[in-house]
Amino acid sequence: MEQLVVFQLAGETYGVDIAHVHEIIRLQPITEVPRTPDFVEGVINLRGRIIPVIDLHKRFGLPAAEAGNSTRIMVVDVKGITVGMIVDAVSEVVRLPEENIEPPPPIIQGVDVAYLRGVGKWGDKLIILLDLERVLRESEHEQLKEQVAAGVAET
Amino acid sequence: MSGFDMSQYLGIFLDETEEQLQQLDEAVVLLEQDPDNRELLNKIFRIAHTLKGSSASMGFEKMATLTHRMESVLDALRRGELRVTSGTIDLLLACLDKLRELKAQLASGHEGEVDTSDLVGRLEEMMAGERGGDDGSPSPAFEPLRLDDVEENVVRAAEIRGYRAYEIRVELEADCRMKGARAFLVFNNLKDLGEVVKSEPHTQELEAEKFGNTFRLVFLSKEDADTVANVIKSISEIKDVTVRPLSLEEGVAQVEERREAAAGAIPLPEGGEAEPGIQRSPERRVTQTVRVDVQRLESLMNLVGELVIDRTRLAEVGNNLKVRLGNEELVEMLEEISLHIGRITSDLQEEIMKARMFPIDQVFNRFPRMVRDLAQKAGKEINFIVEGRETELDRTVIEEIGDPLIHLLRNAIDHGIEEPEERVRLGKPRYGTVVLKAFHQENQIVIIVEDDGRGMDAEQLKRRAVEKGLLSPEGAARLTKREALDLIFLPGFSTSDRITDVSGRGVGMDIVRAHLEKINGTIDIQTTPGKGTRFTIKLPLTLAINRSLLVTLGDRVYAFPLANVVEIIEVEPSQVRRVQNREVTVVRGQVLPLVHLAAALGLKGERAVPGDKAAVVIVGLAEKRVGFIVDSLIGEQEIVIKSLGNYIGKIPGIAGATIMGDGRVALILDIHSLIEHLGTAGERQLAS
Repeated sequence: MEQLVVFQLAGETYGVDIAHVHEIIRLQPITEVPRTPDFVEGVINLRGRIIPVIDLHKRFGLPAAEAGNSTRIMVVDVKGITVGMIVDAVSEVVRLPEENIEPPPPIIQGVDVAYLRGVGKWGDKLIILLDLERVLRESEHEQLKEQVAAGVAET
Repeated sequence: MSGFDMSQYLGIFLDETEEQLQQLDEAVVLLEQDPDNRELLNKIFRIAHTLKGSSASMGFEKMATLTHRMESVLDALRRGELRVTSGTIDLLLACLDKLRELKAQLASGHEGEVDTSDLVGRLEEMMAGERGGDDGSPSPAFEPLRLDDVEENVVRAAEIRGYRAYEIRVELEADCRMKGARAFLVFNNLKDLGEVVKSEPHTQELEAEKFGNTFRLVFLSKEDADTVANVIKSISEIKDVTVRPLSLEEGVAQVEERREAAAGAIPLPEGGEAEPGIQRSPERRVTQTVRVDVQRLESLMNLVGELVIDRTRLAEVGNNLKVRLGNEELVEMLEEISLHIGRITSDLQEEIMKARMFPIDQVFNRFPRMVRDLAQKAGKEINFIVEGRETELDRTVIEEIGDPLIHLLRNAIDHGIEEPEERVRLGKPRYGTVVLKAFHQENQIVIIVEDDGRGMDAEQLKRRAVEKGLLSPEGAARLTKREALDLIFLPGFSTSDRITDVSGRGVGMDIVRAHLEKINGTIDIQTTPGKGTRFTIKLPLTLAINRSLLVTLGDRVYAFPLANVVEIIEVEPSQVRRVQNREVTVVRGQVLPLVHLAAALGLKGERAVPGDKAAVVIVGLAEKRVGFIVDSLIGEQEIVIKSLGNYIGKIPGIAGATIMGDGRVALILDIHSLIEHLGTAGERQLAS
């Protein structure tokens, strides 16, 4: 049985392991940090901690959405890296039996398959399960470095 | 272990052991240079004794046994029954390495896989060998070098006739079959070269094979020590021979010392704190201390950080209320409280800061051993001088400074100091000198690593950088001497022609730079080819709290570390000139480059068009001065530096972030990298 935090992003339903979710907060003023990739919105003050915030739309190359009343920052903690992720809405926490989870299909709309852990069937809905570790770690780090380097070269 | 939960003591034990091993490392290396230093021997003995006691009481058998044997050898050394030789030092150091291994095993939760029997055996052998065969109990008859009046006179008389006196120590193979016969052969071979004055044990005992594996002779000869040694070495089943000149004064002094030691040594209480005899060290520290988990200090520091922020907010609220309500009694009270809290917070901050300060000795004390090992490996002779061990600095800085220093010392030994022969040829002393020193200077710590070796040649560095494709020939020609020296900080740059065992692992100055940047340190090089090199590192005392000048850019706030702010000026548009397409202004006769902070940070599309006047913050870094144009100034404030976290990582120009009174986040500027990137942007040919 897996416990997932389910959220909305560009009209799709996504889920992440609840163990990774630190808390969910309302959108708040974000301090932009220069020379970061455009999906890094900046940093916020989370009760004395400085937390970077990324926009998942930009991260996955999805169409941008206006921030609305339901927009949230989902603070996740993966292997020592704490990041806030802007999502359109956080709907609920669900329990999903293992057998309802399938490996990611080769073609899926929206998100790069590399960031997916699988697809969960929940009632008549499909939940796209994110592999947060890869979303936050791998290519992103490289990308960050490249962009920082490029940013430096421009000046 | 009788139901007691020892695990809670394990942490303390491991900490203490680490400390003791470091002290031992250092003291043993010192002993090698100064073998007759009794005070040092006593110190080593004392630490080993404590270690033995603590490991035994924790029930760590192997460690206890090994330290026990070490203690015996050390005791014999300090009683003068054993002599400090390079063999002894090597063995002691090997023991320390083994103890470290044991400690690492214990830390990971089990004792067992480390094999100590070899070392224990060697220590026992050393004891047995030196004391002769009679059950290891020391017998006055077997004291080394104790010549009676007659023998002494014989030696003196021989010296007048041109003979030299040697002390010879012969060690037989452990499995030597006919020890008596071997000893006889030694005597026989020596007969041709001179005269044996004395043997230890006595010849009768040698014949009767009543000795361990070693015996000593006092020998008179006109030959040199090597010849004598070679004659003995030609005999089979002999493991080791040392021949050293004997000086009577030394011999007598030793006897004196022995008497002293014997007089005081008898009542040695458990605990090992009482020293035998006269030189009891009077300056034992009586400060009471408590071990505190570093994590706890860290969170205390964070809490104080929060308090500092709230103090600022409280003051803000007070000011606003005053504006709104005037001098009402409650407002005045609030003001008073706010002031008081401010003062207490400052004191608290200072105290915690102090609690986080450690003497740099913590880092320095592992270097003598390292330098010795490196020097030995590289075949160099090095005199290592350490000064300013008591200099204190913040724990966070201490943690980061170790690695850069290791690299600098390695480089000094591997690349800086020449081979002994080469040094002699150059008219330098055989021994290269490496100096490591630390001291306070204003609000900074200065650490210097200096050697009197080859030095670096700027032209050669340029050539090498071009060869390695790190730099174009035209680019090289443009570099000043200073800039050329900075080339060594490029990744992939190495001044060594050959790769030694140590430096072959990609040791690079780029690592030094990276570490120093992390703690806002700077490094300067002074070098003279043929004379030596000096690296000067400057570090902030602490990293956690910083006085800053807050400025705005649009609706964002940025903080300039006050340490870098030289002055603040206003510049009229008419005062801005252009030189080579760069904006400059003239301040008291000096040309000052002007840079829009927004542009320097790479922010797009919000370059404030200088209206009437522009606020300019002049910052300084070493000899450089740059004026940054900002939108407006907020003022000075104490801020708590927080990192942007490892997700965002290091961003050029940004040192971190801070939380302001109203809860907003402001970015702290890193003047060093900000200016550096301005500089390199113009000279981008480098590297590409």
